[in-house]
Amino acid sequence: MKSHLSRRSVIGRISAAVAGVLAAPVAKAAKAVAQKVLVTTDMPKDYHPTQHKWVMAIDANRCIGCGFCAEACKKENHVPEGPYFRTWVERYIITKPKPGSGAARGETLVDCPNGGINGYPEAPVPKEEIQHSFFVPKLCNLCQHSPCVQVCPVGATFDAPDGAVLIDPNYCIGCGFCIQACPYGCRFLSPVTKTAEKCTLCYHRITRGLKPACVEVCPTQARIFGDLKNAKPDDPILQFYQNNLVVALKPHLGTEPRLFYAGIDKEVR
Amino acid sequence: MTNELTNLVVEVMPRFEGYVYPNEATQQPLWGILIVLYPYITGLVAGAFIMASLVRVFNVKALEPVYRLSLLTAFAFLLCAPLPLLFHLGHPERCFEVMMTPHLTSPMAIFGFVYAWYLMAVLLLELWFDYRRDFVAWSESTQGFKGLLYRLFTVGVTDVSDSAVQLDHKIGHILSVVGIPSAFLLHGYVGFIFGSVKANPWWGNVLMPIIFIMSAMVSGIALCVFNYMVLTWIRRKTVDMKCLDVMGMYLFYALVVDTAIEALDWIHRIYSAEEGFRVIQYMAQEKLFYTLSLGQVTCGTLVPLILLGLLQLVRGRVPELARRRMYFTGASLILMGVLAMRWNVVIGGQLFSKSLRGVMGYKMEFAGLEGWVMGAVLLCLPFVVLTVMVKLFLAEHDQR
Amino acid sequence: MPPQLFRIFLLAVGIVGAYSVARYFLTPPSFGEYGWYRGAALAELATRDRVYAGKKACEECHSDEYEKLLKHEHKSLACESCHGPGQAHGKDPRKDNIEKSSFAVCLRCHEANPSRPKWHKQIVIKNHYTGSKCTECHVPHSPSEVP
Repeated sequence: MKSHLSRRSVIGRISAAVAGVLAAPVAKAAKAVAQKVLVTTDMPKDYHPTQHKWVMAIDANRCIGCGFCAEACKKENHVPEGPYFRTWVERYIITKPKPGSGAARGETLVDCPNGGINGYPEAPVPKEEIQHSFFVPKLCNLCQHSPCVQVCPVGATFDAPDGAVLIDPNYCIGCGFCIQACPYGCRFLSPVTKTAEKCTLCYHRITRGLKPACVEVCPTQARIFGDLKNAKPDDPILQFYQNNLVVALKPHLGTEPRLFYAGIDKEVR
Repeated sequence: MTNELTNLVVEVMPRFEGYVYPNEATQQPLWGILIVLYPYITGLVAGAFIMASLVRVFNVKALEPVYRLSLLTAFAFLLCAPLPLLFHLGHPERCFEVMMTPHLTSPMAIFGFVYAWYLMAVLLLELWFDYRRDFVAWSESTQGFKGLLYRLFTVGVTDVSDSAVQLDHKIGHILSVVGIPSAFLLHGYVGFIFGSVKANPWWGNVLMPIIFIMSAMVSGIALCVFNYMVLTWIRRKTVDMKCLDVMGMYLFYALVVDTAIEALDWIHRIYSAEEGFRVIQYMAQEKLFYTLSLGQVTCGTLVPLILLGLLQLVRGRVPELARRRMYFTGASLILMGVLAMRWNVVIGGQLFSKSLRGVMGYKMEFAGLEGWVMGAVLLCLPFVVLTVMVKLFLAEHDQR
Repeated sequence: MPPQLFRIFLLAVGIVGAYSVARYFLTPPSFGEYGWYRGAALAELATRDRVYAGKKACEECHSDEYEKLLKHEHKSLACESCHGPGQAHGKDPRKDNIEKSSFAVCLRCHEANPSRPKWHKQIVIKNHYTGSKCTECHVPHSPSEVP
């Protein structure tokens, strides 16, 4: 027994243990430095995520269904062709009730040809049968209690401090749970990157003082965008909240969307 | 030009009826046959383990002949369970992230830990403590590669004195007791994955984890019946009828409870007729007719209930051969019925739009990641693994 | 301790230890900076290239049209609403990397459709005009002007 405990062997074992304990932080620090050198992405100068709170609002009274927004989004964000949309425009047509039926309204027809990116064709029913018709742009509802963030198993999708709900494409494993959990159908699995994708409020634009592409090209300001932490009193977003009664979609689910709609009907889900 | 063409094609060949959100108009649903198979396989694992624990924890002596087979079944199926999950990920090379940065608000995040716990702390340990004495004996008497394996499995411990074996039994008992809630957790969290999705009215309800656990138990017991009968037939032995009758009894009563809970779910849905009910009803009647009304309800539940129920009532008067045939038919139908149930839950939830205004279709592809071939391969693989294990660990003379 | 328990205990310690070491190294460096995600993702997402330049960017070279637009009914439109993405054109101004706009673009907004709000100016094209150039009678940057 004594032979195992010679001074040399004890000192040797202790120094090996100390080296082992020190090696880990050194290795981690080296790895962090390497990451910084190899992959340099810095936030745009003077942009601090905690100093902004971006939000969008939709005034459906002003939407003319031209589809410029959906088209611009597809181009700006290189969204794959096919049934993949970060934003789209729906058309609702509420027909008149059948005479003598005693009903307040006829049936509701909803359509969205190719997300609306080429505008809208003629209405499927004659003009005389239409009681109400309107367009509703849809996008990420910017929920305060996002179910999509809640269910991500790895922390790839998150609520950014400045109000957007984002996806980290280098961390997402493509399980699709967030896409199932979103009640508003605003997420999809990209066939190109094999990760989940969604509206990012054009994060790469708003961090440089530009507007999201959809807001930029909208001819009638149906989409209103603003920074609630830095809004002057005449800011369109504050004017919108001041002048409109609003609804949020699917309130019974408790997601508390921050995206508010003015001018839509009960038929909009 | 391309845009106009796409527009035309989309309007002329809709893959859906009514209105669906643009992101839902994909050719295939997001979660396909692979995600149908995962709950099926883990359900079989949980159920087979419960069957084994009936022997150890509840001292049902009649089931002794299937004890080891049940444990090996659970083990073989558990080894194959992560495969469908791995294959369906968009980035399987990042799968380790679930264990490195698990997001604890997500039920999916506990997969790594629950699976590791169940595999290592429950199943492997229980198998090891049960087999330890045999490993020591076999490692001394077998030559060649098999002998090397047995020596490896002894982990260098060769004490097989009476006190050591008694300790093994005691630990095995504790592990079985711990294993029962672990099995419920292993499959219950899968049910919770669906039950927690409030965005989807077909999935998001409180009974979902319970339904998953109950149907898992039913399918697991049915699998043990199936495996026991097949194995005995292959080895040209005679089935222990007492064992089979007791298994049939547990199978019947588990099926009764499972049917009652699922019926409760449907009755409640139909009665309270909430917002999504109309589109769900249309989807279930039109899109899920074969798998739901025929597959799950008639073939998978009603017929086995009648077959097994008859056997509970008039067992004495039914000759042995007829009884064996009825058990085998019942168990096979239940296995298919529970697979149909998983299909109805997973695929059914994706066949209607969250706008509650439209339904989509699903035509499975033949080859490809989510195709028939892959499904068949993943279903057969656990049986292949089980065959290897039976050859290694379930000696002919000792079908204990 | 009985030998079988001791061996299992060692194995368990080994597995947990290996997991802890793996977790220490495999967690990305900026993880947890703002929340349960990689903080570096914010910077990565903010450094994508733009495709649309924004209305202000056009003013630098096209100030005449810009001023004219702002004085008339189309002032709420962006240049890129009708002329398409402008970032490439702004970097390398050529005639062939920006769209000139056309009849089809005018109709995108102005073709009569019962779903459009009543205040919006719409025309039933077959009753209004049978040619192929709205610019015969209208000036897009100042719509009420007659050319």
